[in-house]
Amino acid sequence: MRAAIEAYDAGANVGVISKLHPTRSHSGAAEGGINAALGNAAEDSPETHAFDTVKGSDYLGDQDAIEIFTREAPGDIYQLEHWGAFFSRREDGRLAQRPFGAAGSPRTVYAADITGHVLIQVLYEQLVKRDITVYEEYFAWKLVENDGRCQGVVCWDLLDGGLKTVGGKTVVLATGGQGRIYRTTTNAYACTGDGAAMALYLGVALKDMEFMQFHPTTLYPSGILLTEGCRGEGAYLINSEGERFMKRYAPNAMELASRDVVSRSEQTEIDQGRGINGSIYLDMRHLGAEKIIERLPGSRELAMTFAGVDPIYDPVPVRPGAHYHMGGVQTDNDGATELTGLYAAGEVACVSVHGANRLGGNSLMETITFGRRAGRAAAEWALSHTTIEVPESVEADAERELKAMLGVERGERPWQIRQDLGTSMLENFGVFRRGEQMEKQVEILEELRERYDRGVVIEDKGEVFNSDLTQAIELGNMIDLARCMLQAGVARRESRGAHARPYDFPDRDDEHFMKHSISRWTDGRPELSYDEVRFTKYEPMERKY
Amino acid sequence: MKKVAYYKGCLASLSAKELDSATQALAPKVGLKLVELESVTCCGAGDIHEAEPDYYLHLNARILAYAAAENVDTLLTVCNVCTLNLRQANFMLLGDADLRARVNENLVSVGVPAYERDVDVRHLLWEIAEGDGYEQLKAAAHRGLKGLKIAPFYGCQILRPSKIQGFEDPDRPWSLERIIEACGGEAIDYPAKIKCCGFPIIQAREETALGELIQPIEQAYEAGADAIVTPCPLCHLSLDAWQSKLKKATGRDFKMPILHLSQLVGVAAGLEEAELKFKRHVVSVEPVVEKLRV
Amino acid sequence: MAMQVGLKVWRFNARTGERELQEFEIDAPEEATLLDCLDIVKDRHDGTLAYRKSCRMMICGSCGMRMDGAAVLACKTRMYDVAQSGHVPVISAMGNLPIVKDLVVDMEPFWDKFKSVDPYLRPGYDEPPEGKEHLIRQERMNVVHKEALCINCGCCVSECNAMESDPLFTGPQALAKAFRFVGDPRDGHKIARLEKLNGEHGIWECTRCYFCNERCPKGVDPRDAIAKLGAESMKEGIDRDMGAKHAKWFVVSAKTTGWLRETELVPKTQGVVSAIKQTRFALDLALKGKVPPPFPPHVAKDVREARRLHDLVRDQGRSGYAGIVQGERALARLAHGHAGEETLDEIYARPGAFHRPYLAGEEIPAGADEGMGSRTQADVTPGEQPTQKPEGGA
Repeated sequence: MRAAIEAYDAGANVGVISKLHPTRSHSGAAEGGINAALGNAAEDSPETHAFDTVKGSDYLGDQDAIEIFTREAPGDIYQLEHWGAFFSRREDGRLAQRPFGAAGSPRTVYAADITGHVLIQVLYEQLVKRDITVYEEYFAWKLVENDGRCQGVVCWDLLDGGLKTVGGKTVVLATGGQGRIYRTTTNAYACTGDGAAMALYLGVALKDMEFMQFHPTTLYPSGILLTEGCRGEGAYLINSEGERFMKRYAPNAMELASRDVVSRSEQTEIDQGRGINGSIYLDMRHLGAEKIIERLPGSRELAMTFAGVDPIYDPVPVRPGAHYHMGGVQTDNDGATELTGLYAAGEVACVSVHGANRLGGNSLMETITFGRRAGRAAAEWALSHTTIEVPESVEADAERELKAMLGVERGERPWQIRQDLGTSMLENFGVFRRGEQMEKQVEILEELRERYDRGVVIEDKGEVFNSDLTQAIELGNMIDLARCMLQAGVARRESRGAHARPYDFPDRDDEHFMKHSISRWTDGRPELSYDEVRFTKYEPMERKY
Repeated sequence: MKKVAYYKGCLASLSAKELDSATQALAPKVGLKLVELESVTCCGAGDIHEAEPDYYLHLNARILAYAAAENVDTLLTVCNVCTLNLRQANFMLLGDADLRARVNENLVSVGVPAYERDVDVRHLLWEIAEGDGYEQLKAAAHRGLKGLKIAPFYGCQILRPSKIQGFEDPDRPWSLERIIEACGGEAIDYPAKIKCCGFPIIQAREETALGELIQPIEQAYEAGADAIVTPCPLCHLSLDAWQSKLKKATGRDFKMPILHLSQLVGVAAGLEEAELKFKRHVVSVEPVVEKLRV
Repeated sequence: MAMQVGLKVWRFNARTGERELQEFEIDAPEEATLLDCLDIVKDRHDGTLAYRKSCRMMICGSCGMRMDGAAVLACKTRMYDVAQSGHVPVISAMGNLPIVKDLVVDMEPFWDKFKSVDPYLRPGYDEPPEGKEHLIRQERMNVVHKEALCINCGCCVSECNAMESDPLFTGPQALAKAFRFVGDPRDGHKIARLEKLNGEHGIWECTRCYFCNERCPKGVDPRDAIAKLGAESMKEGIDRDMGAKHAKWFVVSAKTTGWLRETELVPKTQGVVSAIKQTRFALDLALKGKVPPPFPPHVAKDVREARRLHDLVRDQGRSGYAGIVQGERALARLAHGHAGEETLDEIYARPGAFHRPYLAGEEIPAGADEGMGSRTQADVTPGEQPTQKPEGGA
């Protein structure tokens, strides 16, 4: 939405395509906050923010992108506030900022623990104000490439049925991540990586695919997110013995170490037998009812509804869950991909701001700052070019494919493959990774792809609201994205950020692997290559918290 | 006898005198000693709450203060809207010491006792639907209703918002049915029994209100009810007095008698017409009286 | 842990008009929600079942639907108790909106009403200093705190009695959203907004059934937002609507006679001409004694206290929506029950409570940590020895 608003304000004719109504997108589920060096809570600077981000990325982040990001973030926050975003305030009336993981200064601007909700509302309001066209509940299926340019999107109209092709001089992907590849994830059902898959199939480079962040505090058993903000307000992580175990792993930062560090610490505790039901506890009792009800009411409600626990009285069972994909479609600092006319921003993109691990609060900021940049860049390119041409064959081919999919009468239902995908990925490509397990997973994914290609049964053959069909398409996307992830993961023989191989390659290997993994789709399978990390002034150091 | 402060509200004082009359005659039979509050005003309905919310708070605090001054635990109401208004104001005061202090200061400065001792606001419906009151009810309802088919109409504000009212499940209430059965009647079930009669907008948006009003009457009629009973005099007013407007708008003449709760129980407990005052109803209650006479 | 769940689902095809109540019996985990159960039905029993879903954590607002005639969020509705009781609930699409298919409604009328209240900030002329943020106290922002919780799910609209009778009624969601801006200090168009909201299908058409408050899964309390709009309108002198006049007469009655001056209510609300048109109706009522003569006025005892109270509170600055917002803190406590009354020691000492947390080799300080991020660096490695993953994974 931020990209659309910016493109509109730049004078372009904009259409938003979304398989959900815009306010249903999963950014709305973000809770804890959005980072910018405003300096309201304590002294801060874009340079400190940049350093924290670079270090947090385990030095894989592209530093020029990070510098732009941290420099422009404050202005973007003020813009949101001017548009009416409902943020929490300090005593002096300025925007409040809370401490978050691995931040050198408390810079996470927030709205209680429903920051994402507040942002998605204000953006939708601005969309409505400008009366921007939305192709609502249009499932984006294939990108149109013609004459060396991306010129549109072939969609399945979920609400009314039928293929609808939307032509555009430029296309900006803002389709989010693919946490649904994992059985335990914070992500919504909608997070199936459709945008990344569409770009992938066109041969566009995807970057750093092996880096999936596991959020440390997802509720047991659902995987629903409990914000890092709980720890920001002072919550403890304790094991089955009641010990604040983070002391042994990150004695200074404790619960607010970087997410990959915390997830690994939790997983170790669980693996070593100090967990409960495969989880550890998030203990907020000492915060007191008033603070919980005032600052973390959403988290309390989630814990009560989905874990049956009131955090005022009892610790909440949590465990690591797939949360955010650092990798994605490769772009430059203006969101442009290598395919002319195709841009990307947000979780679907990899600029890379987050490198091998993302800091909490940086993702929401990235969607705004780079959403804006991509929107403007796309609009400027579009305004200086005149033609759109979508060959008829594009829709005809899609029609044929659709017919074939719907024509499958015998075979597996998609849920069976989806379940096997989710379980195997969690087991073999989770918080801790082992060479043999990853290799096994490569084979498992090949099998899953074969099962899928044999044809899955879509029971709904109708046109109106055929989510049976769209869910089947999503599954195919996820399998192929997983294949890219595994290939890159196997090849990266080091531990860096969220890619942790403590058994075979426990150390970071800057000499051989200070580089980005690049995945390109060739002949129906991923092909791996590497790209440089862009440095400005931060020298890679040993990363400790 | 349980001593309770009795706040009858505007309608029971004026256009629905039959409600007050029946209630006062019934009360001793179900073990209630009513101490009528006199230095009170209208509770404000949704109107003062909307027009001048701070004044609404003070008016209701005044009623609560005078009730508390009678040294009782319970303030008894006979109207859905009064019940909600008083309970809401009560929770505001009980839950916020600063607010209560400010309101009390204002009350005292105009000569009203401060609201210090806490009272609980309860509708007569709640008093006789369970516990001691229910036992008394069963004992008192000796004349019975002879199997009369009665459609309970709860209306809105005795049930919702349930976090303020909280007596029963707002979607599956049982109190009226229980009372009807204890009195020897047959309770009729129908979907609109918990929906709105439309009274709050019956003047400002008559057409919309009539579109709501017709639902309980029509459904009760089609289910074969002999009468509708309601715990709210505002609902009673629209169900009873506005039935003629329904006839005008739809051409259908339901002739559905509408009884106040106190009247229904009163009939079963042997109250006289002088106390029940059925003659004050716009839609004749004669058919019901006939059936019971036989 | 598994349980058996029975569901009856209303299937509907808008193109053909066919309706059918289908029954399903499924096995589901004990913690399953209604949404989880629908997923099981769709995956394993009938892939044609249509419903919306996304976040499954009650924030996106996609999965509004009716269970036994009452709108709920499917993802918030745990099925354990229902299943244990043996009750088979009926699942149907939300009300007051056209049905597209099965449990999917056409949300366009909903969004149209939302858009009709100009649901975006219309700033005033004051620019905040240095291009930074407006300085606003938290308490001032909290005026619209509840309305800002709205996730546009439609549960309130589904159950609105006024809208059921008049589909043109603006409705609880749009009106709550309207207050979100009327009460925002940065918005510069309060009067214009209020004027519009006092129109034919605006705030005065609300029937006060409180179904919206009851059904809202987020605690927005749209009815209260509508009351706040009414209060603010009256404060700003926007009171031409019959509903406003009706409300004002209650105030006048309270401070003059105490009890409501019923008879004069009709002409005061509807105007003399309209009142005359109602003469026949009024006569019918009068014959039954339902129209108390306005003279002599029925005056409550000590009504001068009410009169003096009115003058006293008028000048205390709680007029308009402030008078309603002042009670919200106390009313919110109702939802929280008695939470927060115990001390920390009492909480740790409750029967069955998990142990007090400890830090190896150290006392935990009495108060809560601020939990600041680290400014220095220290060691972190995932355990000294390679970890053995237990069988079966995490």
